[in-house]
Amino acid sequence: MRKISSTRQRKLDRHETKLAALLVLFATVLAFVAPRFFGAANLSLLARSMGVLLIVAVGMLNVIITGGIDISAGSILAVVSVVLVRLGNHGMGAPYALALGLLTGIFLGAINAALIAEFRIPPIVATLGTAGLFRGLLLEWTQGEWESSIPAWLNAWGRPRWGGLDASVWTAALVVVIAAMVLHRTQIGRALFRYGDSPIAAARVGISRRQPIYFAYISLGFLTALGAIFYAAQLGAVQGNAANGYELTVIAAVVLGGADILGGRGSLAGTFLGVLLLCSLQQALVLLHVETFWQNIATGAVVLAGVIFSAAPSYRKKIMLRQGSPA
Amino acid sequence: MSSTASTFPPNSAPDPQTKRTPLFRPAGNLQPGIVATLILFFCLYAGYRSGDFWSALNWRLLVQPLAEAGLVSLGMMFVIASGGIDLSAGSIIGLSAVAAGLAAHHGWSVPAIEGIAILSGLLCGAFNGLMIGVLRLSSILVTLGSMILFSGIALALSSGSSFAGFPEGLLWWNDATFAHIPVEFLLFLGVAAIAAVLLQRTLWGHYVVAIGSNPVTARYSGYPVALSTFAIYSVQGLLCGMTGVLMVARLASARADMGQGLMLMAIAAVVLGGAPIEGGAASVLGTVTGVGAFYIVQDGLLLLDVPPFVQHALSSVLLLVAVAFGNLLRGKREDGR
Repeated sequence: MRKISSTRQRKLDRHETKLAALLVLFATVLAFVAPRFFGAANLSLLARSMGVLLIVAVGMLNVIITGGIDISAGSILAVVSVVLVRLGNHGMGAPYALALGLLTGIFLGAINAALIAEFRIPPIVATLGTAGLFRGLLLEWTQGEWESSIPAWLNAWGRPRWGGLDASVWTAALVVVIAAMVLHRTQIGRALFRYGDSPIAAARVGISRRQPIYFAYISLGFLTALGAIFYAAQLGAVQGNAANGYELTVIAAVVLGGADILGGRGSLAGTFLGVLLLCSLQQALVLLHVETFWQNIATGAVVLAGVIFSAAPSYRKKIMLRQGSPA
Repeated sequence: MSSTASTFPPNSAPDPQTKRTPLFRPAGNLQPGIVATLILFFCLYAGYRSGDFWSALNWRLLVQPLAEAGLVSLGMMFVIASGGIDLSAGSIIGLSAVAAGLAAHHGWSVPAIEGIAILSGLLCGAFNGLMIGVLRLSSILVTLGSMILFSGIALALSSGSSFAGFPEGLLWWNDATFAHIPVEFLLFLGVAAIAAVLLQRTLWGHYVVAIGSNPVTARYSGYPVALSTFAIYSVQGLLCGMTGVLMVARLASARADMGQGLMLMAIAAVVLGGAPIEGGAASVLGTVTGVGAFYIVQDGLLLLDVPPFVQHALSSVLLLVAVAFGNLLRGKREDGR
């Protein structure tokens, strides 16, 4: 039986370490199979593809840490990108359109939070409902038509700048830094972990039942809106059906990064590595001229492997719990 | 038939003082009843506003997609009752439809086409069951992965295109009626009856609910948790395979993305029928009510000339309102959430 582990052993046991090792292995294989992967052009493309996903994934991480889940993130992304593009196309100035877009995201996130915190609807059901609601209203509004041109200022946001990387990459980096500070250095950040671990225990030590929920879902709404800006800017055209199923990719990236879907556990480093793994896998398969559906198969297999892989330590803990030894 | 399988009969000592039951004692779960009442009023209104609502043709067109969604919902009911969730249901339907398409393309006989479609659904479900039941992984994560995996396999098998040219024998499922009722719907009712018996009259049904209400206790009680969970997901896969066959028969084509909307629809239907998403209780009657409510409302709104996308939004509102009301009626939960 395992003895109490040393700090060093724990560090090796950490999910992030294993995930990083997996990435190194993957990179080594790629170096032989597709050396072009490490060219500057490809790496900047990779960074570009990671930006939006990482921004939204940080928001999803907040939600998953509280033990919740948000199925409506893809719908919110679509709503905000259409709002933004339509306002811009009607001649509204960039600062106002951006502010209204971000407010829309915050508002939609607040609706989710209110349903969960006030009406006590389980997160998966509440966001399942709002996903259909937001998407339905958006499709009615756009009548399924494409917004095939986007305002010039928004277009500029999608172009590479500042060292070959576009604004989404820099924003994502900023978001990760701020989120790291909020999650680990503020009361509300610590409250998210406490609440996710056990809402009852959190209530006993004086953490509000509502605050962590509102914070998590509103921050996801805000970050999704932020992601939507770059999503629209990069695509150059938006449509009511945009980002359908995007939330599942985001959730896959976050859980691949070691976040516990039951709440209370998750890290930004892991989320970053999860996003990196998913995106570099996609990118590598594109480089190797693999057809799209094989990319799906590979992504699914990687997610499943990640689930098995990350379950191993907690499985051991569960066995210990079952045998009644102190965990 | 009691409305939920998990409620134990209360301790009923024959006390003359309390023998008279109060008129409005909330017995079991009220949610299916509330939903059914709302739908009844909706039907009356829709019938009043649109002459076509009560026509035989409308109901015929209504019950066929209802039967397909109903089969998936019944499978999802077992999954949710055991405290799990199946995000891969839509992909399994797509995969089994593509399997049917491939078999038809190679000129297989009708029973062989049906068999291969149902078998591929069963295999997908068994794969989920193996990961969730035997390896004890989280159901939401496993099915998230297998959803992407199965739809990838379906796309790869069909090269992203759709199949057509199915034999007449297969299309029988769409055309045939018995006493003016489409056989598809009768099949659904039959499966629902079997599901009710399985849930309430068999040990397996008892295990399913027990696993959902407390997996640790179920394990301590010596219940075959791994095997039962494996069976739950296999049954779900089997029902998804059947749905795939029915959809192929109705649409006379097969595509990899055919089951897309049905997964969320099935979860919503089960929850609308009053089953808690955390598991531990389920009712066939509730599930049938839930899935019926969705399709009746959508069909009615269509006849009332409500724009199609608003119909979609209103179905979601129905789900949210019903669950919020159910919560209010059930009162504060013990942990105060």
